[in-house]
Amino acid sequence: MPDLAQAPSASPQNQAETVICVENVSKLFQTPARENLEALLNIDLNIRSAEFITVVGPSGCGKSTLLKLIAGFSPCSAGRIVFQGEEVRGLNTKVGYVPQESKLFPWLTVEENVGFGLDSKRYSRADRQRQVSQFIKLAGLDGFEKYYPGQLSGGMSKRASIVRALAYEPPVILMDEPFGPLDAQTRMVLQDELLKIWEQKRQTIIFVTHDLVEAVALGDYVVVMTHRPGKIKDIIKVPMARPRNIFEIHRQEGFDDAYGRLWNIFRHELNIGAH
Amino acid sequence: MGMMGITLVRFAIIIGFFALWEIASGRWIEPFLISSPSRIFISLIDGFREGDLLQHSWVTLVEIAIGFPVGAISGIALGYAFGRSRLLADIFEPIIIALNGIPRTALAPLFIVWLGIGLWSKVGVVFLLTFFLNFFNTYTGMRQMDEEYVDLANLMGVKGWKLTFKVIFPAISPYVFTGIRTSIPFAVIGAIVGEFVAATEGVGFFIRMSAGIFRTADVFVGIIVLMIMVIIMDKIAEAVERRALRWQSQKEHVQIQG
Repeated sequence: MPDLAQAPSASPQNQAETVICVENVSKLFQTPARENLEALLNIDLNIRSAEFITVVGPSGCGKSTLLKLIAGFSPCSAGRIVFQGEEVRGLNTKVGYVPQESKLFPWLTVEENVGFGLDSKRYSRADRQRQVSQFIKLAGLDGFEKYYPGQLSGGMSKRASIVRALAYEPPVILMDEPFGPLDAQTRMVLQDELLKIWEQKRQTIIFVTHDLVEAVALGDYVVVMTHRPGKIKDIIKVPMARPRNIFEIHRQEGFDDAYGRLWNIFRHELNIGAH
Repeated sequence: MGMMGITLVRFAIIIGFFALWEIASGRWIEPFLISSPSRIFISLIDGFREGDLLQHSWVTLVEIAIGFPVGAISGIALGYAFGRSRLLADIFEPIIIALNGIPRTALAPLFIVWLGIGLWSKVGVVFLLTFFLNFFNTYTGMRQMDEEYVDLANLMGVKGWKLTFKVIFPAISPYVFTGIRTSIPFAVIGAIVGEFVAATEGVGFFIRMSAGIFRTADVFVGIIVLMIMVIIMDKIAEAVERRALRWQSQKEHVQIQG
């Protein structure tokens, strides 16, 4: 199995420690017809602090399932996930989760949504307010603090949803195809903003997508998964410098190389011959 | 037709109806059968002036004021508990559904036997009618609720009371309010049915007594009083709902009858 820990680190701190260790994890689901469905099979993955990992694969390859296991929404059928040295059992409250749809709490204002994870025990009133306005600003939502999610555009809800997960500063953020339903322009703008936020905050991000360009453009490493049962086919290091320019990502050095290797893997997967 | 036109036609129909009623009474139909709008109006004024209608209204209002909130709150609480606990729901759901199959007003005589002909038997019937509607609406809300909100909140370290009141109740509040608002007329029905069966005061008693001595105008007066009660309670509930659900841009939600 490919192992990130043995690959040279792309992050600035070379001493970066392993945050998440996925050890030989499998996940079975029972279909309504009582058959076992192997969503994930023997997954091994090490993720170090401050890395931006993207996970690509065809739909139904279990990439969202992997995130759900790391978040502890459901237990592994075999193997284990070790998070900061502790095995994940039950909900893993040290991760932030950005779901496919924004899933902002529609009854809370933008401000209240962003501050939702800020525990009153850990943050004083003033700290909390400072933190909330800082992240609202980071998301470009200043002026919309009192708005309800129903009054926001798709892109704005997405931004709010992302900073809601970032605001309480969990060490790891899991993102499940967050930009999937957006139009191409909004998508690029948000990718760009996400990278800018990440450059400042340097939280570990695991970002699931089915878009190869997005995977290469954002990630330090791209984890490639195969169709059911979901296995890790390969892990590609993206040799592009940071900060990256999302809007001209194709021209950046290293993009073609990484994208080419990724496409090669997918071509085999899709059974399309070489041109 | 514009809004103005629609309003005009509506008023014309209402006024026409009352005019026809007034004309028909005493000419084509015996007044003791249908009374007449003018007689009803006079009886309404007299009823309140001479005091006993106010007393009857007060009695009915007290029955509702105790039975309705207690019924609504316990229905909502149980609906919530069932939604949170698979075990509780698995054990009790079939029982509750079976109980719901009973025509509840048929239990009113039993409540008289158990609780006497005074206040508490009526409170009991009001409670019963209110409870089930609120229970079923809240429970449906719990089952329809998007669990991902709870998962996300849990992941953000939110649990206990904060989870209940900041996440779950807001999420199901459209259903809870539907339950409350549909149960308002039923609470009034409960009080009246109780008073029909056995009572010495209350608007239901007043209606039954008036009908017994063919004071038809007073029967209608009683009905008007009940209508006004329902409308006022509904308006209050609507105002609270609008305030609580102001985050909802669109107002439509599923109407579930219990």
